[in-house]
Amino acid sequence: MQSETIPVEELRQLLAGVSDHGTQHLLEVEADLMQTTYLLSEAIEKLGACFMSVHEAVTAQQQELDILLQQSQLPAEQQQKLLQYREHIAKEVNTAVTGLQFQDLTSQLIARTIKRVNGLKELLSALATHGNSMDSEQEHQEIARLLQEMNQRLNSRSVELSGGLRKAVDQHHMGSGEIELF
Amino acid sequence: MAKTILAVDDSGSLRQMVAFSLTAAGYQVVQAVDGQDGLNKARDQVVDLVLTDQNMPNMDGLTLIKSLRGMSSYQKVPILMLTTESSDEMKAKGRAAGANGWLVKPFDPKRLIDVVQKVIG
Repeated sequence: MQSETIPVEELRQLLAGVSDHGTQHLLEVEADLMQTTYLLSEAIEKLGACFMSVHEAVTAQQQELDILLQQSQLPAEQQQKLLQYREHIAKEVNTAVTGLQFQDLTSQLIARTIKRVNGLKELLSALATHGNSMDSEQEHQEIARLLQEMNQRLNSRSVELSGGLRKAVDQHHMGSGEIELF
Repeated sequence: MAKTILAVDDSGSLRQMVAFSLTAAGYQVVQAVDGQDGLNKARDQVVDLVLTDQNMPNMDGLTLIKSLRGMSSYQKVPILMLTTESSDEMKAKGRAAGANGWLVKPFDPKRLIDVVQKVIG
């Protein structure tokens, strides 16, 4: 014979468990993302400083070379080689400047992910809160109504969360972005 | 005399790269950490060009442009957006606010300098 009793306590425990475990995992995700942001930021700061220092040294070296070139008669072939090195360095400097900007893009994507994680934590918290309001004495229809209401609120919060997380970075390649003059 | 460019961005690494590229091309660069800081610095000194990010704390790029366009000294100063945003909707908003151009990050230094030279010489 099938029981007509609804296992409200078990349902409440399930909702609380989903909420607690989910929140714990999301806290870990949030901590990892914040650590990633910090490490990326530190790395780029150091890379940027090294880049500036190397560039300064290379520029000074090129200036010294220019003086030497003016003072001595280098064969045309060697002069051409030096010019090629200079062009190669300039090209690589441009590529490095473009590359060093990607931390800005990735940190924006990570910040968006952290906001989503926080939104999910709120969703899970709502799940547990609604679960607590279930009374084991309530009628079957009343509990069904409560679950339906919970589902609607979760949907509504989810839509609200997505709406507030407009994606500001669409870049999927390592090249530079487009330019448009109005 | 070197022309002055106000570079507004909340990312330190981005500001560093903008300043590096434009200084190497002979421009003087004033840096601001967000829209509000940009507005304050623009009030202190009228610059030849403003290059601003969109998404920043305290004041975003579009609000900064609208504020600058409300100042008589900035009605004709070229303003370029340098942002990760690339949607037509955002570009239209930028144009309506008074931006003269839209550059999507990351920028290529040579192309940035070409555009700046085209706009202010």
